[in-house]
Order: sequence, then C-alpha cells, then structure tokens
Amino acid sequence: MERILFYLIAAVIIVFSVLTVTSRRILRAAVYLLFVLMATAGFYFMLNYNFLGAVQLTVYSGGIVVLIVFAVLLTAHMDHKLDPPDRLKALAVGLLSLFGMGITLYALRSFPWAVTALPEGAYDIEAIGMRLLSYGDKGYVLPFEVISVLLLAAMVAAIIIAKKSTSND
Amino acid sequence: MGNEAIILFIILGLVLVGGAFAMSYLVSPKNVTPLKEETYECGIETMGSSWIQFKVGYYLFAMLFLIFDVETIFIVPWAVVMKKVGLVAFIEILIFFLILGLGLLYAWKKRALRWE
Amino acid sequence: MELAKFLIMRSELSLLAVVLILLVVEIFSAKSKQGAVVNLATGLFLLHTILGFVPVATGQLFGGMYQHTLLTGLMKSVLNIGVLILIMQSSGWLKQPANKGRVSEFFLLILSTLMGMYFMLSAGDFLMLYLGLELATIPLAALVAYNLKEMKSMEAGAKFILLAALSSGIMLFGISLIYGSSGSVYYAEVVGTMEMNPMQIMAMVFFLSGLGFKISLVPFHFWTADVYEGAPTNVAAYLSVISKGASTFVLLTLLFTVFKTMFDAWEVLLYAMAVLTITLGNLFALRQQNMQRFLAFSSIAQAGFLLLGIISGTHYGMTTVIYFVLVYVFSNLGAFGVAAIVYNASGKINIEDYRGFYQTNPRLSLVMLLSLFSLAGIPPVAGFFGKFFLFAAAAEQGYYWLVIIALLNTIISLYYYLRVVKAMFLDRSEEPIGLIKSDVLTRVAIAVSVAGIVAAGVFSQVFDWIHLYGWGM
Repeated sequence: MERILFYLIAAVIIVFSVLTVTSRRILRAAVYLLFVLMATAGFYFMLNYNFLGAVQLTVYSGGIVVLIVFAVLLTAHMDHKLDPPDRLKALAVGLLSLFGMGITLYALRSFPWAVTALPEGAYDIEAIGMRLLSYGDKGYVLPFEVISVLLLAAMVAAIIIAKKSTSND
Repeated sequence: MGNEAIILFIILGLVLVGGAFAMSYLVSPKNVTPLKEETYECGIETMGSSWIQFKVGYYLFAMLFLIFDVETIFIVPWAVVMKKVGLVAFIEILIFFLILGLGLLYAWKKRALRWE
Repeated sequence: MELAKFLIMRSELSLLAVVLILLVVEIFSAKSKQGAVVNLATGLFLLHTILGFVPVATGQLFGGMYQHTLLTGLMKSVLNIGVLILIMQSSGWLKQPANKGRVSEFFLLILSTLMGMYFMLSAGDFLMLYLGLELATIPLAALVAYNLKEMKSMEAGAKFILLAALSSGIMLFGISLIYGSSGSVYYAEVVGTMEMNPMQIMAMVFFLSGLGFKISLVPFHFWTADVYEGAPTNVAAYLSVISKGASTFVLLTLLFTVFKTMFDAWEVLLYAMAVLTITLGNLFALRQQNMQRFLAFSSIAQAGFLLLGIISGTHYGMTTVIYFVLVYVFSNLGAFGVAAIVYNASGKINIEDYRGFYQTNPRLSLVMLLSLFSLAGIPPVAGFFGKFFLFAAAAEQGYYWLVIIALLNTIISLYYYLRVVKAMFLDRSEEPIGLIKSDVLTRVAIAVSVAGIVAAGVFSQVFDWIHLYGWGM
C-alpha cells in the first residue's frame, strides 16, 4: 500500500513538474509549481517527518509560491504567452536530459545503498529542537545563528532592490 | 496505517473533480458566440485586459512575510525544548532575535512597512 | 561553558560586530551623511583586518562544525586585505548623489557575503559550507542590481540569482548524495567513506559544479561576462577577486581533504577544466571591446591558471595557489580600480576610449600598466612569480602538457593585455578622457594595490610565510 501511495505522489510530482516547465502561461506555471511543492510535502509525511512536512507547506506552498505569484504579477506583460519552443531545440534538450537521467540512474543504481532503520522519535520536534540548540557534538546551533544573519542580509537585499527612492528620509 | 485512506482520497478526488468537468463538458449545449464570451459587468463594456501590473509593494510585503515565516520555523522547535535546555536556549534565541529584530527595525526605518 | 573558547571565531565575531554597528548607526541616525558612513565603515573594517592578524588558538568548535587553523586564518586575512582595498576604492562612487541613502546597505551586503565566505572556509561539514555559500551569494545578487536606474544592472542581477540558484541546486543534490552514501555531513566522517565508484564520483562532480560556478570555471562560466558588464564596476571587482578567491580556497581545501581519496577522478576533471578555462577565457578576451567584459574573460582565464596549482596536490602547489590569489587580488583590484574611477568619472567603458589616456592621466595609466603587466605575468612584477610558481608546481608533478598549453595561452594573453596598454600609451585620440580627480580613500586604495604588486614580487618572504601555513595532500 505504501508503495502505491509513493508512486501516486511521485506521479503527481512528475506530471505537474512537466506542466510547470512546458506551460506557456507564466502564472499557470506558478500554480503547477504549487502542486509540485504540496505533493513533495506528502513524501515528508509518508516518512513520518511531520515537522519538515509542515515546513514545506508553510514556507514553500505558503510563502514562496505567493512570492512567485506576486513577482509574476509585477511583470508588465504577464498575459503574454511564451512562443512555442523551437522543435529542434526542444528535441536536443530532451535527448540531453534523457542522457543525463540515464547516467544519473545508472550511477545511483550501481551503488550498494545501506538500508538503516529509523531510530524511534528521531524526527519529532523535540529531537530537532534539542539538536538545534546544542552546541556540542552534532549540535546545530551555529547554523541556527548564521541563518539569522542570512535572513537579515536577505531582508536588506530585498528592501534595497524593491525600494527605489528611500533617499528622501 | 492510513495509507489506504489517503490513496482512496486521492483517487476519489481525481474522479469527482475530473468527473464533474467531464460531465459538464458532455452534457452542456455548445453554441458559443463572441458576445457570450464577453465579460459582463452591469452592462458596461469592458476596457483593456484584466491583467494589470501590481505595485512593487506587494512583492516587498511577501518577501518580508517569507523571511519572518522562516524565522517562525526556527522558533517552533526552540519553544518546544526551551524549558528543558534552560538558560542556554534563552541566550541562543536572544542572539537570533537581536539580529532579526535589528532587521525589522531597519525595514521600519526604510519605510518598507508602510503602504505607499 | 567557557565563553573564552569562542574567541577562536574572532574573525566572524568581529565582522558581525562591524555589520551590526553599521546597521545600528543606519537605523538610529537621523540623517546619515554618505561620506561619514563610508569613513566609519572603512575605519571599522580596517580595525577588523588588523585584528585578523592577531594570533589566536586554533581548534574546533560546535563538535567540529567550525574549525580554525592557521591556514584558514591566513586565507581570511588575504580576503580581508582585498575587501579593504575594494571598499576604499568604492568610496568615490558611493559618495555620488545617485547613491544617496543606500550607502550603508552596500557595506552591509558586502560584509555579510564576506562572512559567508569565512564560514565556507572554516566549515567542518557540508551544511555550514552550503549555508556559507548561500550567504556569500544571495546578497551579491542585490549588489549586482545596485544601479537601479540601469536596466543592464537589473538584468545582470536577475541572471546572477537564477544561475546561482541553479548551480547551488545541483550542488545540494551532490551533497545529499554524499550524505546518503556516507551517512554524515561532517568532513571528518565523510573522508573515510568516499571511494571511486560511479555514484560517489557523480556526487563529487555535482558538488564541484557549485564551486565551479562561483569561480566561473569553463563549463559554468556563462554568467560571468554578462553579469560583470551589468554590475557596478566595483561590484564586478568584488565578484572577480574576493568571491572567486574565497571559492578557490574552499575548492583547494576540500579537494585536499574530503575528496583526497578520489584524486584520480578529480585530476581528470581539473585537467580538462583547466585547459578549457584558460583557452576559452583567453580566446573570448581577445575580442572584447568593453573593459568590464574584457576583465571578466581575463579573470576566467586567470582562474584556469589556479587549477594548475591545485592539480599538483602538493604542499608547494597549495602555497602557490594562495600566493597567486594574493597577487591576483592586488593586480586585478588595481585594474578594476582604474576602470571604476574612469567609468564613474566619465561614463566611458570601452577600450577605445582609453586612447591617449597617458597624456591626460599619467599616474592612473601607469597603475593600469603595472596591473595589466602583473595579470599578464611579465617578469619584474609579482604576477610573473605567481604564474611561474604555478607552472613549476604543475611541472614538478609531471603535467608537462598542461604547462605547455598554459604557457602558450600566456603568450596569447600578452596580446590582449598589451592592446589596452597600446591604447593608453601609443594611440592618440581626438577627445581623450579628461583629467580625473578622485577622492583620498580611492587614491590610497590604488596606492595600496600598487604597493602590493611590487612588494609581493620583491619580497620572497611573503611566499615563505605562506608556505609555513600550508600543507600537502
């Protein structure tokens, strides 16, 4: 049953990913992307990684897609359809992608992946919190603090790009 | 455990929504004229495209929302274990807040929070 | 918990302090004068640079997630010197009325990317490395698009962020494969598990593409010319010198440690990339008219030369790479500095515009001459020694063909570097660029780069000093 569910979600992801890149209307592409991101959250829930699933839903489906849609609505010619791609180019790109996929699949399948059992409760919020705040071995407090700097820099960067004239203060 | 239910839900969802569209496509009479395709608004003729360019303010707000959204995600696990870890956790989140709080003040100063 | 042990991170901490001070001043000062902000930032950064030379204990923190060695300290100091010259060079441009009200942001963004590079260098695991890389990339996109009035600048910013996102996506895939196969993200634990099988080789290749993008090695170089052309000249200088230098250091240390066991795989890769990068960079540089595009392709070619030192895999090779980056910092910042001064004063950017430059601005054109000679590797200046040592390092390990190809390319590169020199000194022009007066800080910065080019060539102690901190594979 789990296998069927996996393939169902995978099918949803693949179908909507293809639609995202082939859609000729940019706003539709953004909406297809939303479905891809939500289906990805499905995988996390399947793995019992509920926290990451929730993060995926709030940040990606809730935040990023909204941002993308606003960005699309900012463009002047959003109702324009993209020109249909050049046949020859599309064929070349398609073949190249298939070739890349072949190599990747071959490499992935040739490796003896070790199957390990999930430790009980490794992914619940409490365990994540303990690791996030620990400064000892396998502690992640440094990335935690650095992320605040990254967010600060991103905020300054966003403001400086979006606010054209802050000079009159 | 609930896998069957989810699979059933996905299939039912596809069938119901797809079925509704298919049915209305099959059943509905089709004679479309340009006049019928017009947008109707109190009988007034429509002007231009309904696609208008948005203000950059929306983008800025979405961006700020996203940044604080990400911040929330890091605060949730902290809040869960705060009591257990004690003072260290408090100091760590204080640094985190200090840096992002300055960011918020900066946005305030730059009037990024004001709708213009 | 002893707070004293966090002093190991003093570079990051003092840089964070500089950033926060600038931010607080920006928030709480009613009316900030542009010049005052520039002076404050330069002063604070000078302090930070000096502090970086004070020796502290080496060691690890956060369970090996952060490591400080003498080598990372040295690399950070090299970057600091570059950034110091760069922000002094930018002072004239930042004081222009067009940049009113956005001066502190320039410093905030530059310094936060520098902090990202610090974390890349000091990372003890792939997570920190990735975080550092993002911190070193995202603010840069805003800096590239800093000239909001120019469409070109905006376009360059968009190109940069899109391609950066693509390359870091591929890199993340590589990291996830490494994590999946070794069960850890810590370098120390990954080393033992990396073997020569198709999967892990693929993981490494994917991973290296992220760094290849930052260094703009040839299959990943497509963004370079367009972005450098559109970006403000000083930001282009930052991209080509500091960002590239930091990523080269990271590539060097990672290949020498984590991917040590896969030498046979990355040897082939680096060989191919070195040949391609040097040759293509050179061939495209031959045809450029725009100064910024020209310097972009020249910097691609220079990055190719760096691979010669890395591929040797020896202690000597590592020393030469760091030495070459140091020399490259001075010479490229000299060249970009003059180009920036000229562009910001007159708006002229084409090589043809430089005709007769010597008549009107003898000093600036001499600086340009010296920098270009150093980039080309003409004997008396530091660039010659940099290249010579790189070639020697590669030849020592038997890469004769690679050295011969690089040598041939050096000769080709002479042509286009001298083309600019010819335009400046020999050609006459009806309307040459007028006499340019630049402000004090900019002049100091130019003087420092000139002093660097000369000193790094004259004093061999510099090389020995770097040699002390390095190690081989």
